[in-house]
Amino acid sequence: MRFEGIYTPVVTPYFDDFSCNEDALAQTIEHLIGAGVHGIIVAGSTGEYYAQTEEERIWMMGRCADLIAGRVPMVVGTGAIRTEDSVRFASAARAAGADALLVATPPYAYPTGREIALHALAIDRAANLPVMLYNYPGRMSVNMDEDTLDRLGRSANFCAIKESSGDINRLHMLARDYPHIALSCGMDDQALEFFAWGARSWVCAGSNFAPEAHLALYTACAVEGDFTKGRAIMSAMLPLMRVLEQGGKFVQCIKHGLTLRGIDAGPPRKPLQPLNKDDKRQLAEVIRTMNATVSNITGEPI
Amino acid sequence: MSDLLTHAEYLALAQEMDFPRTAFIDGAYRPGRGAPFATINPATGQELAQITGCNADDVDLAVEKARGAFAQGHWAKLHPSDRKDTLIRLCKLITRNRRELAVMESLESGKPIRDCEIIDVPETIHCIKWHAEAVDKIYDQAGPTGDDALSLIVREPIGVVAAVLPWNFPLMMLAWKIGPALAAGCSVIVKPAEQTSMTALRVAELAHEAGVPRGVLQVLPGDGPSVGEPLGRHMDVDMVSFTGSTETGKRFLRYAADSNLKKVVLECGGKNPAVVFDDAENLDHVAEHVVNAAFWNAGQNCSATARLIVHKDVKAPLMDRIHARLRDWKLGDPLDPANHIGALIDAEHCRKVRSYLGETDSDDGPFVPPRVIEVDARDARARDEIFGPVLCVIEVASNDEAIAVANDTDYGLAASVFTASTRRAIRAARDIAAGTVTVNCYGEGDISTPFGGYKQSGFGGRDNGIHAHDQFTELKTIWIDLTDPAEGDNIG
Repeated sequence: MRFEGIYTPVVTPYFDDFSCNEDALAQTIEHLIGAGVHGIIVAGSTGEYYAQTEEERIWMMGRCADLIAGRVPMVVGTGAIRTEDSVRFASAARAAGADALLVATPPYAYPTGREIALHALAIDRAANLPVMLYNYPGRMSVNMDEDTLDRLGRSANFCAIKESSGDINRLHMLARDYPHIALSCGMDDQALEFFAWGARSWVCAGSNFAPEAHLALYTACAVEGDFTKGRAIMSAMLPLMRVLEQGGKFVQCIKHGLTLRGIDAGPPRKPLQPLNKDDKRQLAEVIRTMNATVSNITGEPI
Repeated sequence: MSDLLTHAEYLALAQEMDFPRTAFIDGAYRPGRGAPFATINPATGQELAQITGCNADDVDLAVEKARGAFAQGHWAKLHPSDRKDTLIRLCKLITRNRRELAVMESLESGKPIRDCEIIDVPETIHCIKWHAEAVDKIYDQAGPTGDDALSLIVREPIGVVAAVLPWNFPLMMLAWKIGPALAAGCSVIVKPAEQTSMTALRVAELAHEAGVPRGVLQVLPGDGPSVGEPLGRHMDVDMVSFTGSTETGKRFLRYAADSNLKKVVLECGGKNPAVVFDDAENLDHVAEHVVNAAFWNAGQNCSATARLIVHKDVKAPLMDRIHARLRDWKLGDPLDPANHIGALIDAEHCRKVRSYLGETDSDDGPFVPPRVIEVDARDARARDEIFGPVLCVIEVASNDEAIAVANDTDYGLAASVFTASTRRAIRAARDIAAGTVTVNCYGEGDISTPFGGYKQSGFGGRDNGIHAHDQFTELKTIWIDLTDPAEGDNIG
């Protein structure tokens, strides 16, 4: 499978009692597909998988598969502390009709590169689906190092990596030494750099509420190869990136951003708390400015 | 004594096997970027695995890594004793994983498991070990010079070697190439036959585990146009060592001529005669050797005896004995250790073999029973390389005619003669144009003797023996002036 384009890790909208708001979920998926995103990721960290029960996660896979109805690829995250749980989620994803998996390092146990590879290979054996690896040492404490990547070469299913380390040297290493593993931008504030190194996809939570701006940057850089225009769009997006990546309230911002678009994404599940009034005002301001600037650059109304 | 498992145990092992599915480049498995292809168990027709094929981009990457490793010298300039130690570690790892390799080989090639266990895997280990053990015992030469100079004639590893392998002995042919090439210090890129990629991939992984540095041994699965040709045409490959059909061998010569004049060593086809003179002794012994030589590996062997050239006076008793022996050759599931003949490599090859027998449809599937057919010396079946379990019997009226018929072929790989006369045996061995002539037995010599062909059977070098080492090295002369500058031209 070739991962090309904008892949949105879809949020899970909740009511105030933290039960799933199915209508809002359906609206979100329609809104994303309508906006032209290229794929939807279910059970990414933006979807708050870590705060969901096994039953809820498996239900989400089936529900989203029905809502997406094959219009764009559905990628399902298998993240879990236990390998056995990840394997079960992978099998369930296959049964639900997932097109690909998002496979992260298991958190907390602090596995070695070899152990991460064996974890991922176990998931691969269970599901035999294309895999986008997910390297996020900021949350998991470990990197998918060369030992991991070398061992994973055994299966061609490992065909992409969402790189969220923020380490530009890893970007160079991946681009040069692992050309068979497609780069996917997982660090929003480095999207321009990723595209410069040949990334053809971007997993961006911000596209939940601002798909137009994210698509504009992807189109300028990855499709048109116009990095002058890309730099202008990136510059307009950076204030938002700063709020998202450096503000410490990632999921809350994404959900509130969607709420600003008229889809009530609701509160995050505990232990996270919703944004306060000042944060909400700042976010709304940043999004408004960004959309206006990007619209000026591309000539497309947002 | 062998420790063969039962048929059921082999089937269970096969069920659990984890097959390599991607190329091995720069010390790791990496998916090729060419078209994926299925590797099929020829005995059942079932798909074993989807393998990611390589393309010219992968060839470029592998050559870059091979060249980088060679230039860095971590392997090429390593003390020969240290290369020996690493390769012996590889042999130990192959030994430890011998059963997995034997089953994988049998599954992918259709070879009987008993052959894989008793011949192919042990010979693979023996070959690599022999070259490893030899490499720190090879001396260079000092030339005959006057007192005013010293000349050294030294051998250096040739550089980046592309080893292109056939499907009939996937492991052994791998060993024949990588044993001497790695011992010599070369970087090797292996292109296995697309029907049989897996054991080469697994051995490359084991070599890495043994300590062969990244880039020194790489395996690129794929077909000829996608991998073989780009290797043959690559400007930074120093040598191609090819075993396979004469037709493909000719292509590699053309690629070399069109690119960088890389050295090409070819080990190609054969239509090998067994000549039985009128004074041959012990026809039981002759029959045993002829049957083994013709039907081992279902005749899919470039040095197989494909022609029995027999004097009319001994033909009838010999044929009786051959037919009697053939009754013991059981045909069937390669994973059943009771079977001596497995499946032919694929459906296309089966069709080709059957076409020589005048058969189109058959209920035997990929299993072609051994055949002994009487033909005229001019018949196509007596001249073409059928590469299947078909022994062509040609009756001759005199011993001179036998030699003439033996030589009446485009090929010249191997031959055997059976006679009671030492004089006749030596005369025949000299008169037959072939790389190996065995007397009163069939064989290829052993690891210490060179193997290769005359005429269209081969070109450019020899496998096995120290001669195999030589073909992966360049000869260099170092000439040192020893005159004392203070004494001017007075010396000499």
